Amino acid sequence: MKNLIKNALFIISAISILTFAGNSCSKNEEFRMLKIGLPEEPKTLNIWLASDANSHKVLSQMYQPLFVRDPDSLKLIPWLAEGEPAFDEKSLSYTVRIKEAKWSDGSELTSEDVAFTGNLIKDFRIPRHISRWDFIKKIDTPDKRTVRFYLNEPKAIFLTRTLVTSIVPKSEWAKVAKAAKESEKPLITLLNHKIESPLSSGPFIFKEWKQGAYIFLRKNNFFFGNGKNIGGRLIGPNIDGIIFKIFGTSDTAILSLKKGSIDMFWWNVQPGYLDDLKEHNDIKIFSNEKNGLYYMGFNVRKQPFDDVNLRRAIATLIDKDFIISRILQGHGVKMNSVVPPGNQYWCCSDVPKYADGADRKKRIKKAYEILSAAGYTWEIPPVDKDGNIVSGKGICLPNGQPMKKFTILTPPADYDPLRALSGTIIQEWLRSAGIPATAKPMAFGSLIQQVKGRRQFDTFILGYGNLDLDPDWIRNFFHSNNDRTMGWNMSGYRNPEFDSIARKSSGTMDKEKRRKLIWKMQKIISRDVPYIPLYNPKLNEAVRTDKFEGWVETLGGIGNIWSLCTVRPK
Amino acid sequence: MELLRYIYRRLIQIVIIFFVILTILFFLFHLAPGDPVSRMVDPNLTPEDAQLIIKELGLDQPLWMQYLYYLKNFLTGHFGSSFHYGQPVIDIIGNRLPNTILLFTTSIILSAIVGIYLGKIASWHKGKKTDTLMTLGALITHTVFLPWMALIMIWIFAYRLGWFPITGMISEEVWLNPNAGVWWKMIDVLHHMALPLVTLFLIHFGSYLLIMRSSMLNTLKEDYILTGRAKGLSEKVIRDHHAAPNAALPVVTSVGLSLAFSINGGALTETVFTWPGIGRELVFAVSHNDYPLAMASFLLIAIVVLLSNLVVDILYAYLDPRIRY
Repeated sequence: MKNLIKNALFIISAISILTFAGNSCSKNEEFRMLKIGLPEEPKTLNIWLASDANSHKVLSQMYQPLFVRDPDSLKLIPWLAEGEPAFDEKSLSYTVRIKEAKWSDGSELTSEDVAFTGNLIKDFRIPRHISRWDFIKKIDTPDKRTVRFYLNEPKAIFLTRTLVTSIVPKSEWAKVAKAAKESEKPLITLLNHKIESPLSSGPFIFKEWKQGAYIFLRKNNFFFGNGKNIGGRLIGPNIDGIIFKIFGTSDTAILSLKKGSIDMFWWNVQPGYLDDLKEHNDIKIFSNEKNGLYYMGFNVRKQPFDDVNLRRAIATLIDKDFIISRILQGHGVKMNSVVPPGNQYWCCSDVPKYADGADRKKRIKKAYEILSAAGYTWEIPPVDKDGNIVSGKGICLPNGQPMKKFTILTPPADYDPLRALSGTIIQEWLRSAGIPATAKPMAFGSLIQQVKGRRQFDTFILGYGNLDLDPDWIRNFFHSNNDRTMGWNMSGYRNPEFDSIARKSSGTMDKEKRRKLIWKMQKIISRDVPYIPLYNPKLNEAVRTDKFEGWVETLGGIGNIWSLCTVRPK
Repeated sequence: MELLRYIYRRLIQIVIIFFVILTILFFLFHLAPGDPVSRMVDPNLTPEDAQLIIKELGLDQPLWMQYLYYLKNFLTGHFGSSFHYGQPVIDIIGNRLPNTILLFTTSIILSAIVGIYLGKIASWHKGKKTDTLMTLGALITHTVFLPWMALIMIWIFAYRLGWFPITGMISEEVWLNPNAGVWWKMIDVLHHMALPLVTLFLIHFGSYLLIMRSSMLNTLKEDYILTGRAKGLSEKVIRDHHAAPNAALPVVTSVGLSLAFSINGGALTETVFTWPGIGRELVFAVSHNDYPLAMASFLLIAIVVLLSNLVVDILYAYLDPRIRY
């Protein structure tokens, strides 16, 4: 017993010494750094491999584009560029003048770097980037600060997507590109190249990455925006640096935020945490719309989903208000068009809204009307002769065949509980009208392969959390050319009228004219319902207010280059 | 001589089993639904882009050819590069494995030492308060859901009391401080390690305690214990020198295998404590179809488990002279 007490005392003393020593050594020197929590470790500092959001959060502080979106108007404004691009209709070229800017090693950022970036993407056909550079015929550099892009054909996305590509330093990448070109697998060699310490033209420079712990960026004294007024904002950075801290779970990140170990958690805070966080005086929640789209898609290549009446009836049965209030707990926005309402310039509000605001009874009646008029019959119709709602059963197609049971594929609840729950509730709504749907959660990779690769499915619920503000992706999603294996037209929607407008929209450089075409495309999609847009979740981001201020809100939240260039110590 | 022949025979078995495992793993991963590109839900990724990536990764080849390439590369010491990180898997494993070994191996050794010691005490006091308390405590801590326990530990000792850091393995304040020497850095790691270590210890020591207790109770019924008492040996000598060494044999097997599996880490522990180990990477690699990383990690576990089985068998012969091969 004596030994036991002795051992216990020894352990307690050891813990006390460790705690004291650990805490005192960690408080040895207080850095004035902004500490940001990340939900996962960034995968790479190689910008061409970085397809994950967390790598982008770090790299976007270093590699800068020619133009960025103004946080209020969402219009593109010059960033590395000095002014608006000058268009020459005759040669189908755009000339952009670059600001005086430097890389973090003190060397000049020139038009050569811009041309090199474009040519590198084209030469290697770098995935995720090539689609916005493929139509560039040639890039000239008349002088150190002027770059001229010659286009093969007019392309609207040149202004909105090509010019927002991050520019990489030629001095850093030329040797890498040369070695990759000479290798057996050029693209993989380029993507797998390890960048130890990337040069930066942005507000911060890379200093250190401790795997699994933190990434440390220090203020870049060569940053072109330092002390300048861009887009009506005085640009810093006003902090000494950023430390990105990695967390394994939201629980521990939120505890760290409450404790003050981090100043911001750059991730969506789930509604369950919000009430607790709101009680803290030193914590502020920013709630902003994302540019996302969460939707239900049909396989319109096959029966019975090739019938627009059935798709409209299903759209009528889905109560989006219920999904937002109950499943999203109010933290989302209802979507009627595929373009989220937050993207005000491009979103068309004048689209068909199926039984918008109606209660359950009215929805079932309306769906019953649509289906009955189209020739559908029931063993027990969901609406009886007296107009009462009953449990529908045994629905038959207009050709008299019973409707086969079908599945609504959703990601599993551990991947996205909102989509999984939406699938279950939609299943119940459809069953109430006698439509034999079953929600089936499936591992995300398998779901994508089933829908996009094999194209063997009935319906599915998927979503995009961060779409490009230029809605050119509507063309991608619904043009018949993309109805192929691994193509983005997952529904298999084919409409020559849509194809023609979509093609025209992609080559229309006049913004107003293009907006009209994009609106038309949205109206067609809402009319034909290959997708039923469901909701766009809100992004809740939490920051501490006791040490820093000056966060900039925009579509997509406060995690943006503007915030990190303007945030300042209190 | 017989022992050497035995080891030689077992090594041949190990090589055969290892290649069976390698083959099963290869086909299991490659036949599972999805591929490294299918998770890239980026509308900017065209079907042509996806195809180009698949081609450059060699995944467009017939499966048997991919298998032969893998075998060839494996035998020449090339384990490939992670699809996700773009880095050689050896580097990734080399980076994460020491962290896992540090935490998990330490916790198993600590749990085993305490578990064996307390198991010995509990069995000696069978039916008394000490035994009841220890057995009950072991059962409770051993059956608690690990992530829950981990979060409770974090909430009490890190968040409320502030004794330990909430998560991670190191503090940026220390590691970015140019004045912090090696000792401070070591203390910092130990400071971060304390909570996950205690959590793992609480979860694991119970199983060793229960095995040891049960084994001791059986041993105490043996004739040689009676002989010892008849010879007038003290209770302490009988317990510590006669009963405990014999009773520890089943625990050795358990500890040996646990040590082998400790390189696999624990995805849950590593996730909750943000401990940069191999367990999280393994789960991530499997869920993201990162075949090279997943294969290499599993093969490493396989080889360590196979070899540790052999070591445990040899150790058995050393600990118990009655056992001969």
